[in-house]
Amino acid sequence: MALIAALLAAAACSKSTANSGGSGGPCTPSDPAVITFAAYSTPREVYGKIIPAFQAKWKEDHNGQNVIFQESYGGSTSQAQNVIKGFPADVVALSLAPDVDVIADAGLITHDWTQVADGGMVSASVVVFDVRPGNPKQLVDWGDLTQSGLDILTPDPAASGGARWNIVATYGAAERGKVSGIAASDDAGAGQLLTGIFANVRVLDKSARDSIKNFESGNGDVAITYENEVFTAQKAGLEDEMVIPPSTVLIENPVAVVDKNAADHCVTDVANGFVDFLHSQDAKDLYAKTGFLRPTDPAQAQQGDGDKFAAIQDLFTVEDLGGWDQIDTKVFGDPDGIFTKAFKEATG
Amino acid sequence: MAKTLDRTLEEDRAPPAKGAARFSRLHAGRWGLRGVAIVYLGLLVVLPLTAVIVKGYGQGLVSLRHALAAPGAVAAIRLTLFTSAIAAIVNGVLGTLIAYVLVRFRFPGRSTLATVVDMPFAIPTLVTGVMLVALYGPNTPVGGFLARHGIDVVFAVPGIVLALLVVTLPLVIRTVEPVLLELDPAEEEAARVLGAGGWTAFRRVVLPALRPAIAAGALLTFARALGEFGAIVIVSGNITGKTLTAPYFIFQLTGNFRFEEAAAVSAILFGLSFVLVLVTERLVKNREARVSP
Repeated sequence: MALIAALLAAAACSKSTANSGGSGGPCTPSDPAVITFAAYSTPREVYGKIIPAFQAKWKEDHNGQNVIFQESYGGSTSQAQNVIKGFPADVVALSLAPDVDVIADAGLITHDWTQVADGGMVSASVVVFDVRPGNPKQLVDWGDLTQSGLDILTPDPAASGGARWNIVATYGAAERGKVSGIAASDDAGAGQLLTGIFANVRVLDKSARDSIKNFESGNGDVAITYENEVFTAQKAGLEDEMVIPPSTVLIENPVAVVDKNAADHCVTDVANGFVDFLHSQDAKDLYAKTGFLRPTDPAQAQQGDGDKFAAIQDLFTVEDLGGWDQIDTKVFGDPDGIFTKAFKEATG
Repeated sequence: MAKTLDRTLEEDRAPPAKGAARFSRLHAGRWGLRGVAIVYLGLLVVLPLTAVIVKGYGQGLVSLRHALAAPGAVAAIRLTLFTSAIAAIVNGVLGTLIAYVLVRFRFPGRSTLATVVDMPFAIPTLVTGVMLVALYGPNTPVGGFLARHGIDVVFAVPGIVLALLVVTLPLVIRTVEPVLLELDPAEEEAARVLGAGGWTAFRRVVLPALRPAIAAGALLTFARALGEFGAIVIVSGNITGKTLTAPYFIFQLTGNFRFEEAAAVSAILFGLSFVLVLVTERLVKNREARVSP
């Protein structure tokens, strides 16, 4: 199997070396090297700044070698599915780790992608409430979302992988005993909280961004969404107000080299170079400034920057809840997951 | 079907020249019906279009300039025009052929074929996209075979064209079919009796009569293809500057809260579609004038 893969890679490489006029030997990328990059939609503007910065740096460090990017932006889960179906991405930047894992499970990412800087994560945000100016409904904590008559917008976990962040945030806050009236580790209590919230959900949008768009057009009292989304909306001139609940989850966005594709295209070095660059301070500054994303380090993220990013009382990570595998079973499992049951009860 | 609709429109649009006399003769009920029709069309089509224009061009051309400055914007519009044109030409030719086969020949499976023709309209276009990826995706036997021979279909421009061909398939066929049905096969037979070969008879007798209908169908195909979203999102891979189409580009603009810019680009697309639909109507009218003077 590995032999076949190696042969295929060799064949592909010899083709591209021939194209660039080289003479066999080690795999050399075409000149200019082409990187196909598949990302989720939100950070499009950030990458519009990061990519040129990387291109300039790579050129300077590699005797003037140019790198061309083919960029594709779309929903995180559908991008992952496209890569599995053959979209030739060399690097993926997705909204949540399980989307990278499915690519790895399909055999396209062969290294342990979490064993790099920052555990493979390049940016982070937190789950927040997007409310009307002045917060007329006085929504400050998760429990407030269950009051009767409230209209909530949140993306559909069946359509949007990213939507799961909102559910993980609710579940985690309850499990950690940070929601008044619910004791720590009280699964039933967490389930009731989710039922109460989803009974108030008026629209299940396709994505977190759609929730805000929908909210902007006058629907709902609150959209459960991410901090960077609210900042982006505010920058676009929308009058949304943000409420950070006392306890919420750190959303971590992964990036990974798709080894098999990168090897096929002979761009492994460039792809690795790009991912390294995404972990650099230059990139981090751009994520924060253009994308309104927090640092990936949990302690730093929780502290905020005393300016734009406010400090958060209780910020937890997916690891704190036992990791995605455990969450997938315990919360999203069918038919016994806490959310699965709560959702049925709320909508049934 | 298309013809009766046109006649109704024609009647509805009759100039109010004989105004007063005609008005008195009209039944109040007819005005009620017209009111419903006008209000309905107004709510569904005219108002939203106006809103888009106002949003996009409320501040002159600023929004449009900003939108076109975004990476891949011009390429996206060019790609959409190009792929739509190909779809219109290919389905113009092959759609005419299918219509001819359906009308002129009797063979087993003909009624099944006639049903298959309408399938693309019955299937959600998103599903069409999924089907195409399932068949032509790089990891499938068919797609893999083509890829090894240097032909990329899915996540490349051919996939976009293919998707457009499928979703617009019925348009030319269903525009050409009624004209063919009206056409007396005796004329074609006479040409053959007089010594014309099958192709000559088709070219000299049938084709001239079909030309306006083919053109109308092709223009409708083009207009419909301009706006296709569902199927393309799935098959194109949305690579900026390469396979990103105008409708998806507009979607991305709204995703970045650039609503004015999205509206400005949308208005260009539907302005183009509008002109094409106008030309189509003109063609259909000319055809009617010729067929039934």
